[in-house]
Amino acid sequence: MGLNQIGASILTALLVGLWMRGAARGVFLLAFSALALFWFQPAIPLRSFDFWIPSLSIFLVVIVWFITSTAGAWKSRQNIIGLAVIIGIVALVDLTRYIFPDPTLTSTTPPRLIVVIGFFALATFAIAASTVLSRRFAFTLILVIILLVAILLILKSPNLSLQLSVFFRSLTNRPLDTASALDLRWLGFSYISFRLIHVLRDKQTGRLPELSLPEFATYVVFFPSLSAGPIDRAERFAGDLRAEFRLTQDETLLAGQRIVVGLFKKFVIADTLALVALNDSLAAQVHTPGWMWFHLYAYAFQIYFDFSGYTDIAIGVARLVGVKLPENFTSPYTKPNLAQFWNSWHITLTQWIRAYFFNPFNRWIRGYKSLPAWTMLLAGQLATMLIIGLWHGVTINFIFWGAWHGLGLFLQNRWSDFAKARIAVTNPRIQTALHIGGVLLTFHFVALGWVFFALSAPALSFEVLMKLFGIH
Amino acid sequence: MRKVLFILLLANILLTACASSASDAPAKAVEEYLNALVAKDAARLPTLVCGDWEEDALIELDSLQAVNARLENVACSQTGTEGNFALVDCAGSIVLTYNNEDQNLDLALVTYQVVEESGEWLVCGKQ
Repeated sequence: MGLNQIGASILTALLVGLWMRGAARGVFLLAFSALALFWFQPAIPLRSFDFWIPSLSIFLVVIVWFITSTAGAWKSRQNIIGLAVIIGIVALVDLTRYIFPDPTLTSTTPPRLIVVIGFFALATFAIAASTVLSRRFAFTLILVIILLVAILLILKSPNLSLQLSVFFRSLTNRPLDTASALDLRWLGFSYISFRLIHVLRDKQTGRLPELSLPEFATYVVFFPSLSAGPIDRAERFAGDLRAEFRLTQDETLLAGQRIVVGLFKKFVIADTLALVALNDSLAAQVHTPGWMWFHLYAYAFQIYFDFSGYTDIAIGVARLVGVKLPENFTSPYTKPNLAQFWNSWHITLTQWIRAYFFNPFNRWIRGYKSLPAWTMLLAGQLATMLIIGLWHGVTINFIFWGAWHGLGLFLQNRWSDFAKARIAVTNPRIQTALHIGGVLLTFHFVALGWVFFALSAPALSFEVLMKLFGIH
Repeated sequence: MRKVLFILLLANILLTACASSASDAPAKAVEEYLNALVAKDAARLPTLVCGDWEEDALIELDSLQAVNARLENVACSQTGTEGNFALVDCAGSIVLTYNNEDQNLDLALVTYQVVEESGEWLVCGKQ
């Protein structure tokens, strides 16, 4: 999100918070969120893809709502209005092609209306078919989850993305040489897919409360949290939308403070640090351990201020419309051990993974009673952190990054159990010294892990790790 | 729902009619191309050209990377056809600025070839 888009989001949120009440607030938030999906989507060098990708996001949202809602729910007034708003926004974005001389809400010219009407017809058929299937066969939900994971896998894997781009180029008679893995940038899909999977899983386990289409769709594509999270829970989010809200002076001040802090973190601190933060070219050029540590520290703080800055902006903007998005960062670099770090870094992702992967995985592995407890723990920690790594990108470096943290969490857990039984420190000074030592150790462990995150290739990453310790 | 569909269909017929009857569509395609070119918009530029011309267009864009570029008094119009191509001439120029020094590329010296693919007009070469 650029400053223009953040500015428009703040202004819209202020207007909604000040003037919209009751159902109007929900409908307007849905309309603007759907519109933002198109507007925030980066340009793609394949014609009209910056229109089709947000349209597919909307299609996935609607299809998941249909298969998770009760039979006939779509006939209620509220849901028909929601559906009309969604269709209206997609049609409106497309109509800008005929109204304005240059692309207005999308980066490139949207497709012809007749093509979009064809898309609506296909989408209606797919929604009707999957709704009927989901009422008869429970595995339809699993199939949709598999579809979402498959899309995520393709988008996060540079090789698969490149192959898909080549495929689309061959279909549209474009040169294949200019294909790139970056051709298929799907705005916010990492977050959209995890929100949808959460809803599908909760439906399977009978924990999903009934949500209207406007509530559900706004939850998934809510404009402040579209590009960088956090990953809220649907029922909590819907609760905020249902509650009466009036933007007070205090609330505006709190939201404003949060936004200003976020803007400062992102555009002043993070963007300045980005100039000296570790990257592939610096990694190859720098040879002294001191300077390498300097660039690594810069990267560690840049990634924190960048991500937490965006989160602050999202939380502040959401607050203006009465939605209290969950916190995503609580001073992670001040934590004395790795477990606490992960309880305060990208909190909503960690909680999601814990709920939908770690806990089920642990229950499953405990079925193998012959396995020693430590192997179960190691497998759980490793698998969880590898999933978190792969969520960032399906590359060897993210696998190393995930494994680094998985092993770190395992070792910390073993050490903690060992020390608890044998070492009792009562002296407050020693306790403070141990706490500070823990913070420094944890920070440096995390910082060393960022080497894999910041760089693109394992060989370069190991070279940097050696340079950091003066071995190279 | 039927009413909504009917209105959408009607709007589509009207708008497509308007769009296809617009004789300046090839000229507009060239203007869009020139705008994307001087904006050095590598993501948008390929969407405005045909497949055969994409690599040339990107090379043209690369040639502007080291300078500031802007359009001055650009107005394009279709001047004829040649096989499948619509021929478009433009008045005005691309102004390239480097080290506070301006250099004008006179667009009148070039004729753009524009082709219609799946209802879209795309720049596909120049003479």
